[in-house]
Amino acid sequence: MRVPEITDDPLQPADAAWRELSSQTVPLVPVPLESQPNEYIRTAWEGRPYGRVGEVQVAAARHGERLFVRLEWADAAEPNTEFPDGAGVFFPDSADDGPPVTIGSRAAPVRLWAWRDRLVVQQDLPAVRDLVASGPGVFQPVGPRPEPDPDERPGGPSEVSTGWALADGRWAVVVSGNVGAAASGRMGVVVWDGSNEERAGIGAVTPSWVPLAVA
Amino acid sequence: MSSRIESGPDVTGNGHAGHPAGQVAMVFDLNKCMGCQTCSVACKVLWTRGEGEDHQWWMTVNTQPGLGTPKGWEQMGGGRPDGRPKPGHQPGRAEFGGGWSFNYDEVFYGGKGRSVHLQPTDTGDGTTRWGMNWDEDQGAGEYPNSYYFYLPRLCNHCTHPVCAAACPTGAMYKRAEDGAVLRDEELCQGSRFCMEACPYKKIYFNYTRGVAQHCILCFPRLEQGVAPTCARQCPGRLTFVGMLSDPEGPIHKLVHQWELALPLHPEYGTEPNIFYVPPLAPYRLHDDMSIDYETPRIPPEYLESLFGPKVHQALATLKTELERVRAGGTSEILDTLIVYRWPELFGPFTTDPAQLERTPEKVAVALRSKPAGNDHG
Ligand code: SF4
Ligand code: SF4
Repeated sequence: MRVPEITDDPLQPADAAWRELSSQTVPLVPVPLESQPNEYIRTAWEGRPYGRVGEVQVAAARHGERLFVRLEWADAAEPNTEFPDGAGVFFPDSADDGPPVTIGSRAAPVRLWAWRDRLVVQQDLPAVRDLVASGPGVFQPVGPRPEPDPDERPGGPSEVSTGWALADGRWAVVVSGNVGAAASGRMGVVVWDGSNEERAGIGAVTPSWVPLAVA
Repeated sequence: MSSRIESGPDVTGNGHAGHPAGQVAMVFDLNKCMGCQTCSVACKVLWTRGEGEDHQWWMTVNTQPGLGTPKGWEQMGGGRPDGRPKPGHQPGRAEFGGGWSFNYDEVFYGGKGRSVHLQPTDTGDGTTRWGMNWDEDQGAGEYPNSYYFYLPRLCNHCTHPVCAAACPTGAMYKRAEDGAVLRDEELCQGSRFCMEACPYKKIYFNYTRGVAQHCILCFPRLEQGVAPTCARQCPGRLTFVGMLSDPEGPIHKLVHQWELALPLHPEYGTEPNIFYVPPLAPYRLHDDMSIDYETPRIPPEYLESLFGPKVHQALATLKTELERVRAGGTSEILDTLIVYRWPELFGPFTTDPAQLERTPEKVAVALRSKPAGNDHG
């Protein structure tokens, strides 16, 4: 996928810049049950369908040091009051790393920018997290947990940022971070259907890397 | 710095028991609990007054038989009944209930003090239909032989913490020095598999902060030689704290030597480290109001459903000891349970917190992600 250089920061999915850019439809598959990180999760989800979002539309652009990725997918289900919908993009360190279906591994962790919708009481929580993923749900924050209030965060707003909108049963989400994360020229995508209690390693993921040709 | 029992079988959930260097355990004598909730409130005041913690009660006392908290928790699955993790239900906000706000303004300042009564504000999510002590004193049975007793509950700091074994991020762990099961809130990503896996349903979710939370066994107090607050504040003098393996301590004697203190729901398979001396109730009455010495007031099968088959022997031991003392004899068991000297409850944790140099920074760093104050020098 081509990642053209543009001249503004299209952090909102409705921003004009996205209309100029072509998007690609990427198929998603359930993160394999056998690669889930512990016996509890494997047992609890055995025979229970997950990874219900089958495809996602992806577009990307670069502005200077910032990479912007726009994801859009159909979400007809009623929202879940316990588990919000979510999506993320992740990047391997090297182009030689294994397939993306496990969202990284202990040997080859990936950088994951994970967005999730906020429950009503979570309006002060950051909606996007900057994580290192070493397997399905094996996520650790990069640096200390950000303070809920951006003004109190050391160093100001988090390096990753996001904008999102739900319209006509479709989520559109933009996540943005330093373009250096995409140096390997590959990206994976994960989508969690909150109405199906999907979270952590229980979700839908790209079975093969999305190539990124960053301008 | 605490050390973790990191990659042991307990944490992966795949193998045998791994015991910490020392295990802090507690025994509650249910014959003395009066359901006053001082323990619950002491814990609440100390640990769960922060954002998103309104509905959290790491210590609860419920009337048995009853549905308890969260509502119907014994039917929610989890645990490792045959050595393998069993899927469980994650209790939601309405099943815990509580954390209400009240219509104070309307009643006290809105001029409606005579027409509107004080009540929780219905937020439409079912949380005003249950609470941590909703079915207090309902119990079971028919007058004059109705029965109930109180069951204080906290995290059992299990030897097989299925909660930690279910956690994908490694945020939960069992601490080597005292066996406390803890969570690193910096690592917790809020996926709540721990809440599903815990069969005692003693983990809460902080919706505001996006992390799970549960009883920390008052570890900052233990580190200073102070007993957990639920034990120290209990006016009933019934909560023993100590090292499970100390052969001289009351806990070891009550649990292992006399087999009088039993874990709750041993069939859940997590090997709790909180134990209970089961309740002997007053005698039943016949229809003519004479005393029925034969039929226990609390059905033994009900107690067995809570504490396992060993409950019958434990109750028989208690009865024998009582009879011996009534006949003029002595009983080490009863002397232990009576607790003539209050500090005897607390094993090595007898330090009076009022006498300590206070080091709030340590606690703040351990429990909160918020850094200590920054611009006041
Ligand atoms: S009671 Fe539940 S939360 Fe506590 S250690 Fe046992 S399984 Fe974990
Ligand atoms: S403080 Fe003691 S007597 Fe009161 S409810 Fe708790 S355990 Fe029972």
